[in-house]
Amino acid sequence: MYLNRFVNGEGKYVDDIKFDNMLYMSIVRSPYAHAKIKKVKGGLNSSELKAYYAGMDHAMREPVLAIDEVSYVGQCVAAVFSENRYESEDLLNSVEVDYEPLDAVSSIDDALKKPAIHDGMKDNILDTEDVGNKFNEKDIDYDIKVSDTLFMDRISANPIETRGIIADYKDNVLHIYASSQSIHRLKGGIMKTLNLKDDEIVVHHVDTGGAFGLKALIFPEYIIAAYASMKYKKPVKWIETRSEHLQAAHAGRGIKADITLYARKDGKINGLDGTVYLDTGAYFTDDDLVDLGNAMHEVTGPYFIENAHLTGKYVLTNKALNGYYRGAGKPEASRIMERMIDLLADKLKMDIADIRIKNATEKPFKSPLGFDINYPTKPLLEAALKHFDYYNLSKKEKLGISLFILDEDTAPGESCRITVKDGKVKVYFGGDVSGQGHELFVQEMLSEEFNIDKDLISLDYDDTDTLKDGTGTWGSRSAITHGSVLMKTAEIIKNDVIKKFGKYDKDLLLDNEFNEYYYYKIDYNANSVNFNMVSCDVNDMNSIKIYTYYDLGKILNLKNVLGSIHGGGLQALGETLSETLRYDEDGQLITNNIADAGLLTADKIPQYNIKIVENNSEFPDKAKGIGESTMIGIPSALARSIELQTGKRVTKFPIDDLSLFNKCME
Amino acid sequence: MMVNINVNGREYKKDIEPRMLLVSFLRDELNLTGTHIGCDTSNCGACTVLMDGKSVKSCTVLAAQANNHEITTIESSDPKLDVIKQSFVEENGLQCGFCTPGMIMQTFYILENSEDADEEYIKKNLRGNLCRCTGYKSIIDSVKKAEEKVKGEINVSK
Ligand code: FES
Ligand code: FES
Repeated sequence: MYLNRFVNGEGKYVDDIKFDNMLYMSIVRSPYAHAKIKKVKGGLNSSELKAYYAGMDHAMREPVLAIDEVSYVGQCVAAVFSENRYESEDLLNSVEVDYEPLDAVSSIDDALKKPAIHDGMKDNILDTEDVGNKFNEKDIDYDIKVSDTLFMDRISANPIETRGIIADYKDNVLHIYASSQSIHRLKGGIMKTLNLKDDEIVVHHVDTGGAFGLKALIFPEYIIAAYASMKYKKPVKWIETRSEHLQAAHAGRGIKADITLYARKDGKINGLDGTVYLDTGAYFTDDDLVDLGNAMHEVTGPYFIENAHLTGKYVLTNKALNGYYRGAGKPEASRIMERMIDLLADKLKMDIADIRIKNATEKPFKSPLGFDINYPTKPLLEAALKHFDYYNLSKKEKLGISLFILDEDTAPGESCRITVKDGKVKVYFGGDVSGQGHELFVQEMLSEEFNIDKDLISLDYDDTDTLKDGTGTWGSRSAITHGSVLMKTAEIIKNDVIKKFGKYDKDLLLDNEFNEYYYYKIDYNANSVNFNMVSCDVNDMNSIKIYTYYDLGKILNLKNVLGSIHGGGLQALGETLSETLRYDEDGQLITNNIADAGLLTADKIPQYNIKIVENNSEFPDKAKGIGESTMIGIPSALARSIELQTGKRVTKFPIDDLSLFNKCME
Repeated sequence: MMVNINVNGREYKKDIEPRMLLVSFLRDELNLTGTHIGCDTSNCGACTVLMDGKSVKSCTVLAAQANNHEITTIESSDPKLDVIKQSFVEENGLQCGFCTPGMIMQTFYILENSEDADEEYIKKNLRGNLCRCTGYKSIIDSVKKAEEKVKGEINVSK
């Protein structure tokens, strides 16, 4: 059983794998946020490996090893290799690099003012995008207009296991072992960058020590390791240090928004417009499109707002690239809306719940920003307020609330293989589980479906040969996608038994051999409605109380659900109060270690009041998503609870106020 | 240099570089990969082991300093450690499992060194161990459960 494996120290993470003659790779990184490279001598550098990576084509992709110029602290300049881990670090000193420092841009605001960081560009706007229906304020019915600027600073994913890879080129095939949320996506990225054919690379899934969106991505270091293994014909291992992680791992959030709401005096919002900026970092990555795309399309969230238009700007800065962090644009979108609706309520002297009831939708609809709301949101809001006795409680406690849609990234579906052999049932998912404990629900569902003991069922590592396709774990999808494809594949196996023996029973299953694969296609993103409420006393960190009213459809495994809420809950507090990456004006990272990055410790945990409702979804396993809900719902509600006490409106995340929760910020 | 380090009751004599960290000694020399590395600044506790019964961050101790000392790691088969491991399983005190060996070794230390570890005490003593997945709640529950079981056993044997 997977839990036993981990408590016994028998997990197999990438750094636990050793091959004969393996080389350790270390990376020479830029100490400057922006500089010309006058000379680089030694190591593997771009005079030999000149390649650009990203899943998509774009003029501003990052070179895997810097070419003539570095554009952020931590950018890869050269790589060195040794059979001894310590010696490979020593070799970093053998590479000579001459830099000529240049002016750097370290924030969105800075970038909008300063000259372009890349030659050939007129400013630092990498791309611009418009969504929604552009409206003239004269044409809409409103009495009051409220505007504000919201800012959510960058956050590093910081899984406790950093990034890492082993590339092992043998018999003309490149074998990759990586800590990944999607080996298929990783395979595609490496193939594209190094021009490999489909049968020249196999990616193997290993245990993943936390991922949080980051490990869905591809990175220059992975390409360098792959190239080096092909060059030296030896296995090459790269394990990131935490310091490298803080500098160079693609960072999440980094969103600024200038927003205006147009409303009637009864609180009904009839228009929303503004501009949303993404701190893209120094180069383009595919992640940008998802992050800013979600952050724009989902802004109107659960509310029926008929006129909305946003302009999105991808802004270049001299910082590491943008990446996914739990929620990837969804928490930002919701926080923009929820902070604005609180502001409107204050201006109109309305209760924050009343104004939400006024605007919540009574029917499914497609928002002008292109977000399909599949369920009415008002019934859940009213039920949640009633359940927690909001109107009475708000007289006693400083309550913030948040109503939101969880957009579940269910498309394009997921693949699964189930094998039965020697009395054991093994499950493989093409979308790689990345340390969220999926084995628990796999065992629970299959033991029921097959009527067998949980211990006979395991979730096994796959590779890109076992399953030729697959998607991944992200976007609150796997309860639906993985759960549903598991049910479908299990049905096929049961039918195999019936076809062969005329009936199903567990001995007929276990005494024989079966092997079935299925891809469950879903051609749209599902979604669900959820609610959070938070109260706190700003003088006491342990006073924070998180109320969740989540519609999870059918619960597949309660431990998984609670793990997601408690884990995400603390991340959400960290994101609200303390977590970020700090840079000085020259683009130097001043967050030096994982403690500085603001991760919360065991003494900071909040109290929970968890209510789960189970309105079945339309999918075979009847589940709805959960993974990102806490990140979406909690921060804005906590911010509200805090501002009610300090009298200072919260527009910036993390709030990062040393006078709050004295214990928290010590 | 030659060192002689007792790990989980077994003596290991090895010729090592003086700068080698204890965590590298365990992972690379002895292949005991249950002890993990999560940072390079002594902040995360993923590398926690016991040295002569005291919890240490093995990324901050040189293997040379462990010469002639006794090290206990997650791979140890100490019965009390087994009780703790089982409690982590029962309370689902982990998700990705990466922080888990460090958490369990720190728990072992807490339970060996305090008669009556209440929730406050447990939280305070887990502050040096970071977990990004669980939000610590199930970890604290696991420690409490382990404590109950350990106490129960002591009472029974009395
Ligand atoms: S590895 Fe982080 S404290 Fe030792
Ligand atoms: S279980 Fe993943 S870091 Fe703790």
